[in-house]
Amino acid sequence: MSEHSLRYIDNGSFFTRIDALSKLLWVILVIVATFQLGTNQARGIMLALVVYIIVLLARVPFKTIWQAMPIILIMGTLLFIVNVLTVPSTRFIYILGFKVGQQGFDRGLEFFLRITIMVLASFLFIWTTDIRDLMTGLVHIGMPYRYAFSIFLALRFLPIVQQEVDAVKAAHAIRGRASYSPIRHRFRLWQRYMFTVIVNGLRKAESTALAIESRGFGAYPDRTYTKGFRWTKTGIFLIIFFIGFAAWLIYWERILGI
Amino acid sequence: MLLNGIIPQILGGKLIGKVTVDGHDVSQTPVQELAKSTGMLFQDPEWMFATLKVEDEVAFGPENLRRNPDEILQSVEKSLNYVGLQLLRKNLVWALSGGQTQKLGLAAVIAMQTPLIVLDEPTANLDPATTHSVHELILRLRDEGKSVVLVTKDLDEFMAEADDMILLAEGRVVAQGAPRDVVSKHGKKILDLGVWLPETTEIGLRLQAEGKLQKEVPITVAEAVDLFADTRFKSNKPSENTERKETVLIHAQDVEYAYGNKFKALRGVSFDIRQGEIVAIVGQNGAGKSTLSKLLVGLLRPTGGEITMFARKSRQWRVQDLATQIALVFQNPEHQFLCDTVREELEYSLLAQGIDDKAIVSQRVKDMLKRLDISDTSDSHPFSLSAGEKRRLGVATMLIAGSARLLIVDEPTYGQDRRLTESLMQLINNLRDEGITILMITHDMRLVDAHIDRAIVMANGQKIFDGTPNKLFQSPELLQRASLRATTLRRLVDGLRERGVSVPDGLNTVEDFIGAMQ
Repeated sequence: MSEHSLRYIDNGSFFTRIDALSKLLWVILVIVATFQLGTNQARGIMLALVVYIIVLLARVPFKTIWQAMPIILIMGTLLFIVNVLTVPSTRFIYILGFKVGQQGFDRGLEFFLRITIMVLASFLFIWTTDIRDLMTGLVHIGMPYRYAFSIFLALRFLPIVQQEVDAVKAAHAIRGRASYSPIRHRFRLWQRYMFTVIVNGLRKAESTALAIESRGFGAYPDRTYTKGFRWTKTGIFLIIFFIGFAAWLIYWERILGI
Repeated sequence: MLLNGIIPQILGGKLIGKVTVDGHDVSQTPVQELAKSTGMLFQDPEWMFATLKVEDEVAFGPENLRRNPDEILQSVEKSLNYVGLQLLRKNLVWALSGGQTQKLGLAAVIAMQTPLIVLDEPTANLDPATTHSVHELILRLRDEGKSVVLVTKDLDEFMAEADDMILLAEGRVVAQGAPRDVVSKHGKKILDLGVWLPETTEIGLRLQAEGKLQKEVPITVAEAVDLFADTRFKSNKPSENTERKETVLIHAQDVEYAYGNKFKALRGVSFDIRQGEIVAIVGQNGAGKSTLSKLLVGLLRPTGGEITMFARKSRQWRVQDLATQIALVFQNPEHQFLCDTVREELEYSLLAQGIDDKAIVSQRVKDMLKRLDISDTSDSHPFSLSAGEKRRLGVATMLIAGSARLLIVDEPTYGQDRRLTESLMQLINNLRDEGITILMITHDMRLVDAHIDRAIVMANGQKIFDGTPNKLFQSPELLQRASLRATTLRRLVDGLRERGVSVPDGLNTVEDFIGAMQ
């Protein structure tokens, strides 16, 4: 009954009802557009749009967003720090009493915003998409169903792997710490999480593979579907709207020169 | 796995001889083709599932076989009705309880419309009432003309329904025939192999071995009642251990716990755990038992009420400090292991408790390895141990520091055969004799009846009973509310009493029953 941050939330929201392929295309467009943007202001606006969709159009619970934040913050902050420390700067600013290079700071913020936008858009896709719809969609556009299904299975088991990590973390927590060095201890724990999760993951992946083969998977070059794929009008609207929005943003920063 | 071609086609190996299913040679016919003949329910159906929603999961197999979508939808409807999951068809598969997961697995197999259905331990880790409902489903399938192969190491009286029984040991057929014949002729062998038999059958076998039973060994409760209807029992009532232990280690008062999705796993639960007791927490799948164990070791904090542990409020304990007082052995001991050898695993536990003197560490590890009979495995990787050894290592890692006063064991019989369970229970009883309090979370009513001082029964997040197993098993309403079922021994005693036989209270084990016979 525990909750996990990376799983489909079947809440019937506007964004959830959009077809899977339109949403996938939207995620790709968000990533492409983010790399086209040249200023942090424009990236900030893009991030605001993604957050708006997550909160209002997809109605993802705040708790779920909060649980996913560590992944985003750790990745974004690491990239930020690396850039602040490595990019040569000619101008300097003071942040919280620390002297940092202006160019390094700007570059760090750029990477932070990029990674945050991309990861949040991808998470939004996971939160709002029944992966089965993605599979039927990919088959609809010509992908062999075995390949489409492998993507499906990988995403299907993401929450279960997360559940496994939680169980291992809980079990390790009650065994206490056998090292005076917190870093060494933490490294050891992470090493062991990985080991346990990989070993159990492989065992379970084998069980799943055997189970789906024994249910006729791959018996024929194609298969039937009780729920076929259909493009949705809202999906098409989302794509058109986003292309317009991204074009306006690029125009705004490049032509108007914000 | 031979019956659906996974062996030898996918898992490999060399098959000598020939196996045909529905006229197909399993070594020649592709596994996917054999899926039309053999439907297989794997031991852990959760890993069999390939989709997110209940109805999609049932449709998955027939879709692979290119059946007509309209026919598939009808088949999905019928299969879900069959197992009683029609109202949950839109649910996500991971939101199902253990029993519902098992039923969904069965529905997915039924929808394949195969003449042969193979069920691998379909009731492992299910509560007794759900086990009973799965058995009823199997009988319906049989009655509708399906051939059903049930693979199990836990023979309850359901075996009486089988037409044929095959006893396997070390890859060989030890016995085959009607269950009654196999049990009568090979009963001792079955027990020696670590297979569970109903207590009623065990009583018959024991009496047969002692030359006190000339008739057939009973395999159902009804047969046992008939057999012992004329037996007289000693009137001296075996004394029940009613000695009240006074030192309260854990006091829970109106404890509540709600997960983030507002689901209340515990509602107003109050109880005490006293020093030196063996207490069981029992109840249906999803009743709140595991949540309670996590609260006791500090992995979760109550969202209402209070737990006082060793005279301190639960909020004042840090998980690692509480770990010096309470040891929890997880259902899957692999989750607890951190090191590359058994020896290092035990050393880690000592270091984590601040014991770092090399001589002391070495001596304690040696003693613990010997005590739990795992000395031979000291240099082995913990993941390479047998199921029983892993369980014992799980206990050892939590107890080696010697400071734990309460041991919590989650589902001690899960994945264990009879011999391993008996060995684990021997260890647990020894630990209790040494003054360690034991709390078990279990579905195993036989274990509860034989070893427990007190049972706390949970249903829908609430405590509905707190008392001795004798009192628990005397209340059919309570058992029904908690999805529990009395042991076959209890049902035998009840059946005899209904026939007017005077049977004393407190016959909790096969030994008690035979000992009370005149």
